[in-house]
Amino acid sequence: MTTLTTPHRPSPDSPDRAGSPAPRRRRSPRVREAAQLSATLPALIWFLVFTVGPLVSLFYFSTVNWRGLIAPRTPAGLGNFERLFTDPVVGLAAWNTLLQLVVSLPIVVLGAFMLAYYLSLKPRGHRIMRALMFTPVLLSASALAMVFVGVFAPKGMINGFLDVVGLDELARPWLADGTSALWAIIIVTIWCSLSVSAIMLAARLNSVDESIFEAAEIDGAGHWRRMWQIAWPICREFIGVVTMLQFLWTLFASAAVVLLLTRGGPGNATVTLSFLVYDFAFNQSKVGYSQAVAVVLFVVGVVGILLIRRAFRQKY
Amino acid sequence: MTTTTAPEARPAERRTAPAAPTPVRRRRRRRGDALGRTGPSKYLAHAGVWLYVLLLAAPLYYLVISAFKRNTDIFNQPFSPFTPLTFDNFGLAFSQASLGTAMLNSVYVTLGAELVTLLLAIPASYALARSKGAVGRMVERVFALGFLIPGFAALVPTVLLSISLGLFHTREFLILFLPASALPLTVILLTQAMRAVPAELEESALLDGAGPLRVLWSVYVPLSVPTLTVVAILNFLSFWNEYFFSLVIIGPDAALRTAQVALPTLSIANAAQYGVLAAGIIITLVPAYLVYTVFADKMESAVLAGALKG
Repeated sequence: MTTLTTPHRPSPDSPDRAGSPAPRRRRSPRVREAAQLSATLPALIWFLVFTVGPLVSLFYFSTVNWRGLIAPRTPAGLGNFERLFTDPVVGLAAWNTLLQLVVSLPIVVLGAFMLAYYLSLKPRGHRIMRALMFTPVLLSASALAMVFVGVFAPKGMINGFLDVVGLDELARPWLADGTSALWAIIIVTIWCSLSVSAIMLAARLNSVDESIFEAAEIDGAGHWRRMWQIAWPICREFIGVVTMLQFLWTLFASAAVVLLLTRGGPGNATVTLSFLVYDFAFNQSKVGYSQAVAVVLFVVGVVGILLIRRAFRQKY
Repeated sequence: MTTTTAPEARPAERRTAPAAPTPVRRRRRRRGDALGRTGPSKYLAHAGVWLYVLLLAAPLYYLVISAFKRNTDIFNQPFSPFTPLTFDNFGLAFSQASLGTAMLNSVYVTLGAELVTLLLAIPASYALARSKGAVGRMVERVFALGFLIPGFAALVPTVLLSISLGLFHTREFLILFLPASALPLTVILLTQAMRAVPAELEESALLDGAGPLRVLWSVYVPLSVPTLTVVAILNFLSFWNEYFFSLVIIGPDAALRTAQVALPTLSIANAAQYGVLAAGIIITLVPAYLVYTVFADKMESAVLAGALKG
């Protein structure tokens, strides 16, 4: 692989570097373009080997029986996919993933937009708010999960707070309780992504010409109307991008949060589809089967992106 | 992906903003309370936002004060910042999770991947920016589509790839692999920046007898430094914070694992001791936070650029 790290070498049209630039100009434009674009080859090969290759082979691996990374593979046809639809754990994971998306997406997108609008008015304290809202951007998935280990622990922040205000009968081991564990995961997702999305949307709103809002203000439009009837349509397409990001992040990256906070438990209460991809492959020796889940997840991701893109297409 | 022009436009815009403060902007400032004329509902808006800020700040506050507390104080006075100060947690975090080694491993992987990304992306962007033909547009398309590929789905095939390359359980595979996920965005942003380089500069360099490499190094690279910085920050954060691939490919070996993989082991080792874990979180956050404070003004464009990854 190391032979590929040679982009600094002259691109193939440099052998005649010693000559004047004139003869190079005379070559046919097509040849010249090809020679020039050969500098993109290392990057393209990289992309092909490390991104496209694994993704394509994913589809093949989803059709084999395969118990471990070094175990032999036997063809299984579509058997893995048939199993998916009758597997109660996968069903539960699909339901949890759906719940996570349905709850967190609207809250994050609408909430972040309102926060961004508020920030764009530069009210008192907006600098502190911005700095604070940046911290989740800097947190890795594992650091995020670890922050919330302390929050949800039996003797952690929430139970400590309930104790201080005298509501200690509400205290419970949040992550070990079947009903609260999934909500804890969803809250972590929202906590992190609300501020990240708000920062991005605020940056977008800052680039909107202020005279538009002023004209609306003179016409008597209050902030509420300016927010939804002017700012929202203007940023529509960008809001779509933020929604897509949020969708993908919830779908895929939440695997780390689940793995580190609950490992899918208690029981299977907090399994999500992306967590199962990891869990089936690395903890349960169902590698082929896990790849069927990954294919489903990938398809859901692509379809979701296309739908969101359609829904947020610019309308003017 | 039509919005890809946004991050490029922004730095330029911000640069001119302080130089010529518009009267509009000044009026805004003086008004102080921006929601001034909205009537009673403004209190609702303020209250809502500050409630959110409180909920956002609470776990962070709890994290920071716990890192400097003894365990008994965390339980007895969870919210008081006035308990006896201790730095033991930091020492314990370093020794229990061998965080020092882990941090060095993270630095190695992050910087290595950064370097590979730039070595691959700069020539590619240079060529794409200069080409005007259909092939060039097609190549750019390929990279634009790369945004849409969620790498996590290919977790297992990637592990397999590392095995077949003989690089399973090595940090070097991550150095080779991570750039691939960062390439699409890096190439697109850099190409846009390099396209803005005036043609005259290149022509005059060519007339002076400079070869393509020389033109790249002395004309294009210096003029794309602002975008290069944004891209480098963005990639730094995503490489430093990478968790899942590091976990399954480098593995749990304490000599090789990265900081993000080492950190969670503290929570297992200290089931009921949040102080050590909190100290560990703060330690692993330091590099990202340093980058944030040094490049604070660039960070927003970096995050905005990251949005285009959707």
